[in-house]
Amino acid sequence: MTADMILISQEAAQLIKTSGLWGHLSLRISEPDALAGVISVSEQQKVMRPAALEPRNHVLRCAGTGSGVWYRVGPELHGAALLVSVRSSGLTLEGFRGHVPSGFKTPGAMAYYALTYAPGVHDPPYNEGQIPELMAWHVSADGAWPISTQVEPQTLGLSQFAPSWPVAELSESTVMLVGGGSIGGAAAHALALYGVGNLLLVDPDRLGWHNLVRHVTSSRHVGRYKVDALADELAQIRSETRTEALRLDVVVDADRIRPLLRRTHVVLCAADGIAPRRVVSHLARRAGIDTVLACVLQDGAFGEILRLRPWADRGCLVCERETLATAGGMDIEPSLDAGYGTGTRHRPMTAVGGDLHLVGQLAAKVAVATVLERRGQADQRLPGEHTVWALRPQPGAAPPFDLSRSGELRWSPAHPPRPGCPTCQAP
Amino acid sequence: MGLVKAFDDYQDSVNADIEQVRLARARRDVFKKALGAEDDVEEVFGSGSLARSTQLAPIHDVDLVVVFDADAHPTWGTAGDAAQEALSHLGGKVHVLLGATHGTVDQLVRLADPRNHAVKCFLDDPEDPDAFTVDAMPALRQPDNTLLIPEVTSRDWVSADPEYLINEVAKRQVKWPYFRPMVRVLKNWRLGVPVEGKIKSLVMEILALDCLPTAGSRPEALRAFFSAAAVRVNEPITDPADLCGEIQPDLDRVGLRDALNEASELATQACAAAANGATDDALQVWAQLFGTDFPAPAKKQTSPSVAAPALITSRPVKDAPQG
Repeated sequence: MTADMILISQEAAQLIKTSGLWGHLSLRISEPDALAGVISVSEQQKVMRPAALEPRNHVLRCAGTGSGVWYRVGPELHGAALLVSVRSSGLTLEGFRGHVPSGFKTPGAMAYYALTYAPGVHDPPYNEGQIPELMAWHVSADGAWPISTQVEPQTLGLSQFAPSWPVAELSESTVMLVGGGSIGGAAAHALALYGVGNLLLVDPDRLGWHNLVRHVTSSRHVGRYKVDALADELAQIRSETRTEALRLDVVVDADRIRPLLRRTHVVLCAADGIAPRRVVSHLARRAGIDTVLACVLQDGAFGEILRLRPWADRGCLVCERETLATAGGMDIEPSLDAGYGTGTRHRPMTAVGGDLHLVGQLAAKVAVATVLERRGQADQRLPGEHTVWALRPQPGAAPPFDLSRSGELRWSPAHPPRPGCPTCQAP
Repeated sequence: MGLVKAFDDYQDSVNADIEQVRLARARRDVFKKALGAEDDVEEVFGSGSLARSTQLAPIHDVDLVVVFDADAHPTWGTAGDAAQEALSHLGGKVHVLLGATHGTVDQLVRLADPRNHAVKCFLDDPEDPDAFTVDAMPALRQPDNTLLIPEVTSRDWVSADPEYLINEVAKRQVKWPYFRPMVRVLKNWRLGVPVEGKIKSLVMEILALDCLPTAGSRPEALRAFFSAAAVRVNEPITDPADLCGEIQPDLDRVGLRDALNEASELATQACAAAANGATDDALQVWAQLFGTDFPAPAKKQTSPSVAAPALITSRPVKDAPQG
């Protein structure tokens, strides 16, 4: 069995680093994947000590087995390995053996895998280069060839971004995501990637087959509540984000949403009905929380993200919409008030998944920027409060939708509340 | 000149003269000693910016809290005449103990004028607009350790906790030695902000409490403060002890927000210039933000035929993509 890459867990690496001059290895090897992984390590002839590869469902879990040897070597061998790697070449067996001070196993007809550990790479002059401490080799009677090696890093997860990204601030933040559809699903993934620590996922709907063409998730979740599917997926791939799956309808369950807002820093609403968006705007405004509303308009021609701030000189969603309508930029259609792509009165499913995901990701960016701006991150200030993104623009749209090129993005300022607005005026 | 030295020098121009501070403290201590020895007084402590060490020059007043023994004044703390009575009682004590002509402890106070919450004690000519005053506020200690203070306009007593802010500022200062100095800088900055009306200094102190980081360099902290405060100012700025409500209901929030946003832009430019090694450019931007008291960079020797460079020159973006 041959492998082009060997995986080494931190546990295996630590065993090798603390175990003297040489020892044995047990490997799992997947021939179709040309991949091997170290699963146990010994010191010389002593008992093998397990060094598990995570996660448990890794491709190597059920692969074939093999064995190998590890050696402690001088840094010059790893320097030489880098040179021969560039030439896709290897070392002669004698040349390789010359660098192994103890325990060398001469290959017979069968080749074997070797790992070499060179603690001296951190000392001058070797510390000038990018020479790895651990390397893997394919050793045969014809010579020793370096193999790609992946050593599990000591630090995994978002903390790797600190201090160049405000990991701690975002880890403490809570975003309520209303709508677990195509935009909301993409936004959930993006929020987790940014490092938002807590996500409250709100959506009453189940995932249908017809959703799959645009949704971030897969067919294995069909029939499940969208929030449950998203929460499970995020737990699998972004475990640092804590999720709460809430099968709630913001319109029907407004009384249950209100208390949740007390522990929410920003609401991201990706619901596609007019009523849920209006209710979110109203509830968040009354709770004094910033809201980001994301949707596509005009059969997917435009992505739109609107940030509402609960400030005295900023209006709610209805105020913004009526300002746009008064300026001739928008035709308000309150009758279009049901699930996108369902029923008979609604828009057909015309927006393509990739465009919806772009909108979801930009909405996540806006939500994160909103959280971070409050924390003094000057580089997260936005150029406006309302953005229109041309996805499939058609000529002739009124401002601010008069964009002519796909990918064009336009930011506009917010507008003041309308006199007598029941949402914006003090309760 | 480096940025650290420039900020140090600017701080010196913002800080009250040390002799002025000493004089203010000495005057306060005379009040503490005189009133603290009275039988019906439990404690006297300084409050206000001098107690928090966030005072600006010039120092025109000192705030004091005189905590009375509730048992000695059983009617105090209730609605009605007690509020006026407490202020008159304290005014009388100041007159007897510290009156300019016959004070038994010292002869300092020319006029003790009971106001809404405190007795304003003039140590200079009351007609002088810059007269130095000591504002002595009577109070009763409540079981939860907060204070009950008289309010003449409402003929009632209200809760207050000036020690909360004193302690919070002290905690921030322990975390970051520039906290108090930066609060003074921000309070000074507000004086030049184009807003309708004025911005109370306490507004800036509370904004600092909420938005000024307690780590990092002064330029970085200021950049973060201006950015965060431009958002925070849109919401009511209330007593941090959550007792006295909104500090300044008539605050021109939009005007202050615009000024904070502009300051955030400038601070961001200045930090970027400094990170790019353009210290002189950074100094110029900080001077644009803080005014002529901020040290300007040394003038460069340039040929008359060479035009002056732009304040911040654009810099190329390095071609170092990340996948």
